[in-house]
Amino acid sequence: MSALRAFASPLRAAISRPCLSAARPAFSAPAVRHLGIPPLIPQPPGGIVGTVNDAAKVPPPDKFHGSYHWTFERIIAIGLIPLTVAPFVSTTAFSPAIDSILVSSLLVHSYYGFQSCIIDYIPLREFGKVHHVCMYLLLAGTVVTGYGFYKLETEDVGLAGTIAKVWTA
Amino acid sequence: MNTYKQPLRALFRTNNSLASTMFARTLATATSEPAAPEKAPRIKEFQIYRWNPDDPSSKPHMQTYSVDLNACGPMMLDALLKIKNEQDSTLTLRRSCREGICGSCAMNINGTNTLACLCRINTDTAQTTKVYPLPHMFVIKDLVPDLTQFYKQYKSIKPYLQRTDYPEDGRETLQSIADRKKLDGLYECILCACCSTSCPSYWWNQSEYLGPAILLQTYRWLADSRDHATAERKLALQNSMSLYRCHTIMNCSKTCPKGLNPGLAIARIKKSMAL
Amino acid sequence: MVVARKKGRLTGLQRDVLSMYRSCLRAIRVKPAESRHNFLQFTRLQFRQHLTVPKSDFTTIEYLLRRGRNQLETYSNPGVRNVGI
Repeated sequence: MSALRAFASPLRAAISRPCLSAARPAFSAPAVRHLGIPPLIPQPPGGIVGTVNDAAKVPPPDKFHGSYHWTFERIIAIGLIPLTVAPFVSTTAFSPAIDSILVSSLLVHSYYGFQSCIIDYIPLREFGKVHHVCMYLLLAGTVVTGYGFYKLETEDVGLAGTIAKVWTA
Repeated sequence: MNTYKQPLRALFRTNNSLASTMFARTLATATSEPAAPEKAPRIKEFQIYRWNPDDPSSKPHMQTYSVDLNACGPMMLDALLKIKNEQDSTLTLRRSCREGICGSCAMNINGTNTLACLCRINTDTAQTTKVYPLPHMFVIKDLVPDLTQFYKQYKSIKPYLQRTDYPEDGRETLQSIADRKKLDGLYECILCACCSTSCPSYWWNQSEYLGPAILLQTYRWLADSRDHATAERKLALQNSMSLYRCHTIMNCSKTCPKGLNPGLAIARIKKSMAL
Repeated sequence: MVVARKKGRLTGLQRDVLSMYRSCLRAIRVKPAESRHNFLQFTRLQFRQHLTVPKSDFTTIEYLLRRGRNQLETYSNPGVRNVGI
């Protein structure tokens, strides 16, 4: 079986593989540097906590950061597909109710997207307070944008209407 | 009769003499060189990442080695061992089974994480082949990465059968053929760390995100019909870091030298945990 | 990293090295009395042989800290009862 694998490998090599040009270990790269910034909180040597033979620590379970979060994220993302297509297909003027659903799910969707970026690139274990500050900034930004959308929906023609206006202008 | 026998005999004679000269040549060459017909040497250049921990303040560098492909096996591991045997014995790498079952010789060859023993040498001698250790890992020496954290994470998922009760008769826990089939494509993983170290999410959050290899193993125990700890295993993944740092980048499935699909396994875990 | 700091105040990395040295000394205390001296000499040698590393060479110091941590863990094993230099 393993011999077969060995013969199969040139075939696999012929199929295009990801070029990990960025993957090469940078010369003299010490600990992981997010966005080129060294961690604010000193990290244990090699990122290893405890002895070599200890298991890595399992974080405390929290479904609202785990499966519930993921499920809600997916529902919003899938729901956005018909909501985005609807204004293009509909021949009549679309109801402000549907438009406000589109706007709010768009807002939540981008909130989740940026939240993921912050967790990835400004992780709590390395940046501590800065991580929380970024999360609050994101929340503030989302609230401000939400207020803007609220104004757009109640006093103007809504998101789809605005895009239609810009498109024809 | 004689008229046509004569040239035939001449032919035989010439043949005889030809054979004798050939025999003489084989005798002559047997003592000096192998009898194989001489081919033009195919010199291939290999650039290999070198770093010596005994001189820790020195910078890592790329060292170039030339190998004649005619005198070398077809796989990258053959070339590396030939270099180690004949040119530079200080070149350090992990290797063991030389047939893709131990996962020791995982390294980054021409920008792709793979096992050196399963990777053919690119026979185009105009191109240099570059060999690096697994990306984004601490290097112990040359091509040897530090996999401590990787194994610690493997330990944290409790990679063994957990049962509340065992069969009355004291014999093995049985499994139906259909249930066993669910483990195909999961049990073959040799933990070479090629997939984990090709994952950008793992590069950034190695100390918290488990990475594709470990998550594939987690799924291997979740999918096992004999395991009773499914709820505990799932609960251990209920946080933002361990599992949900996977953004379906799919580098893991593209790079796996055993042709497995860790991306699919992770997606299945996420699906089984949804609500 | 180059921040004007009070003279005599240590950088984070320097503090890490000192704390590593201290944990080595602490580990020596639980070794058998007759071999403690050897362990102390060994520890000092390990630190002294890298005295020439400049304090701005973070990469090297971080590497040495990683290696030192592993060594400390190995030698802390109660099975290791003596060390020769």
